[in-house]
Amino acid sequence: MDAKIKFNTKNLDLFYGDFQALKAINMEIREKEVTAFIGPSGCGKSTFLRCLNRMNDLIDSVKINGEIIFDGQDINGNIDVINLRTRVGMVFQKPNPFPMSIYENIAYGPKCQGQKDKTQLDTLVKESLMKAALWDEVKDRLNKSALGLSGGQQQRLCIARTIAMNPEVILMDEPTSALDPIATAKIEDLMSSLKKDFTIIIVTHSMQQAGRISDKTAFFLMGEVIEFNETPIIFTNPNDKRTEDYITGRFG
Amino acid sequence: MSRKASDFLVKGIIYLATGITLSVLLFIVGFIFVKGIGLVNWDFLTRDFNEKVVYAFMESNDVPLGIDEETLSKKNPYDKRYETHLEGPIYIKNIGAAIAKVAYKNHSTEREQFVITYIEKDSPFHSVKDSTGKDIKIRTDYIVQSINGNDFSGMTLAEVAEAIAAESGELKVKIVQPGGGIKSNIITTLYMVLLSLLVALPLGVFGAIYLTEYAKPGRLVNMIRFAAECLAGIPSIIFGLFGMAFFVVALNFQISLISGSLTVAIILLPVIIRSTEEALKTVPMAFREGSLALGATKLQTIFKVVLPCAVPGIATAVLLSIGRVVGESAALLLTAGTVAQIPGTLFSPGSTLTVQAYYVAKEEGNIELACAIGIVIIVIVIVLNILSRITSDKLDVFNKR
Ligand SMILES: Nc1ncnc2c1ncn2[C@@H]1O[C@H](COP(=O)(O)OP(=O)(O)OP(=O)(O)O)[C@@H](O)[C@H]1O
Ligand SMILES: [Mg+2]
Repeated sequence: MDAKIKFNTKNLDLFYGDFQALKAINMEIREKEVTAFIGPSGCGKSTFLRCLNRMNDLIDSVKINGEIIFDGQDINGNIDVINLRTRVGMVFQKPNPFPMSIYENIAYGPKCQGQKDKTQLDTLVKESLMKAALWDEVKDRLNKSALGLSGGQQQRLCIARTIAMNPEVILMDEPTSALDPIATAKIEDLMSSLKKDFTIIIVTHSMQQAGRISDKTAFFLMGEVIEFNETPIIFTNPNDKRTEDYITGRFG
Repeated sequence: MSRKASDFLVKGIIYLATGITLSVLLFIVGFIFVKGIGLVNWDFLTRDFNEKVVYAFMESNDVPLGIDEETLSKKNPYDKRYETHLEGPIYIKNIGAAIAKVAYKNHSTEREQFVITYIEKDSPFHSVKDSTGKDIKIRTDYIVQSINGNDFSGMTLAEVAEAIAAESGELKVKIVQPGGGIKSNIITTLYMVLLSLLVALPLGVFGAIYLTEYAKPGRLVNMIRFAAECLAGIPSIIFGLFGMAFFVVALNFQISLISGSLTVAIILLPVIIRSTEEALKTVPMAFREGSLALGATKLQTIFKVVLPCAVPGIATAVLLSIGRVVGESAALLLTAGTVAQIPGTLFSPGSTLTVQAYYVAKEEGNIELACAIGIVIIVIVIVLNILSRITSDKLDVFNKR
């Protein structure tokens, strides 16, 4: 059974000014799979991830060649970026809850889309927090500031906030790198449960994490995708010598 | 010289410098207080600056005294800095009020006057019209100078009481509302603060938003910033001259509240732009990214996330601005005038506290009064400081854990 292709990049080049950060990337990302990006620091994982919801628009020096087809449409073309970002959500490396109440954090995205109905927002907040496995911990303090939560709770709140938009894809850039092992385990559990509803793309520096949670893994090196395959194959029987070196810790 | 000795010397100089700074500061504040505190009392804060003469028209009406004589004689606050109690009070039935004789003496005038110390509940003084038929309010503390053309000057209190009691029917009383207070200046100052902030705050905040959130870094932005910095360094008399030429003359706003507050608003702009910009820059990029990644537009991001985070910084800007307005004298002298009155409209003149302090010191040579105004200015600045501290703490989104 072949799942639908969600993202398809064709010969994607990205330049920061004169510096080429991504080189001819061709990648097919399938629906409702977890795809992991691994590779040494500075190899362009975040840059590529940020292409997928046009977050690189914020950086003036960025130039992009090639195509990123999302559900049959090139997102570098003349598309509604706001709409794209509601369909492709993003969770960042450092938890970044807004300095508002927990409730307002979750309701923020829907409200920005014009959702005003209080009861609908209430259910949405509750459902999102439940899906993010945070409801029980915060249900009594929904109106307290989100900044009072622990780092792990904050990150799950950020995931809940993204889920509240009901996106098709969730991009995660090292979502657990600022967290302790227990909080990390909770987020990994969460990702496995989110997999049935969402397409997840995650950048990680932890091989174990990639191995545990992902279906496919892409190995990046110096702006190129060296190898992209089923996760078990990448970790046990990689095609490329450089992938094997990286995975066995011989460089990186 | 040994290291120990030179250390000791440097330390000594540091302590000395700190000591001198501190004592100069204390000396100035102390000087102002000692000079002026004798004048600061409730009357000083609530009276108008200039005396005002009104003719009161009323119907005489015998009203018995409703309190006993002893209480009446206690309602006699006349032993003040400028005023010494001489005689009375005597209660006079047909006007339903008590009058006392008081000697008044300040640095330029000296006279004896008859003041109202008590007004009975049903007194005809409660339904008084002026010569144009408008209702006016008569309060204790006001001076009576004549009744139906019969002038009181040179009379004893008993003679005055007799003269008043002899009248009946329609009465025409010459009344002087005592001056010497700075109520109008306090109110003008508050008006000036509010109006100039009303103009400068939105302009400054939106300007800062443009500079930090929209403008592409480059020559134009640098130029705007440079211009703002230059503006901040220009002495305020220059703005005053501009305000006079532009608002007062060219736009024909006259010397008025509006000319003054617009001129001050220009002075405030760079301060507000600068501190708002600093505040916006400290808002982490992560908040902006987080908001945009949730499908918020740039405007939504700015107004719902970035700006609330910058509120404490903007509050600081407001604080600095209030200080600037309260302290501004040169520019206001030229644009808002030196008339000690509560501006009735935007286009009437009015003098703020600092302008008034300048005016009484320079034109009347009354240093004592200027110092008293100085005390009020200092207190207002401190109170406004505390208030905006509290509000900025209340509004600080990072404080609410
Ligand atoms: N805003 C930027 N301007 C210029 N160059 C940038 C910018 N952001 C990233 N780069 C460069 O692009 C390259 C790829 O960066 P990127 O952040 O995508 O790496 P990464 O794989 O995510 O690394 P890490 O694992 O450390 O997060 C790096 O060489 C980096 O220096
Ligand atoms: Mg990265």
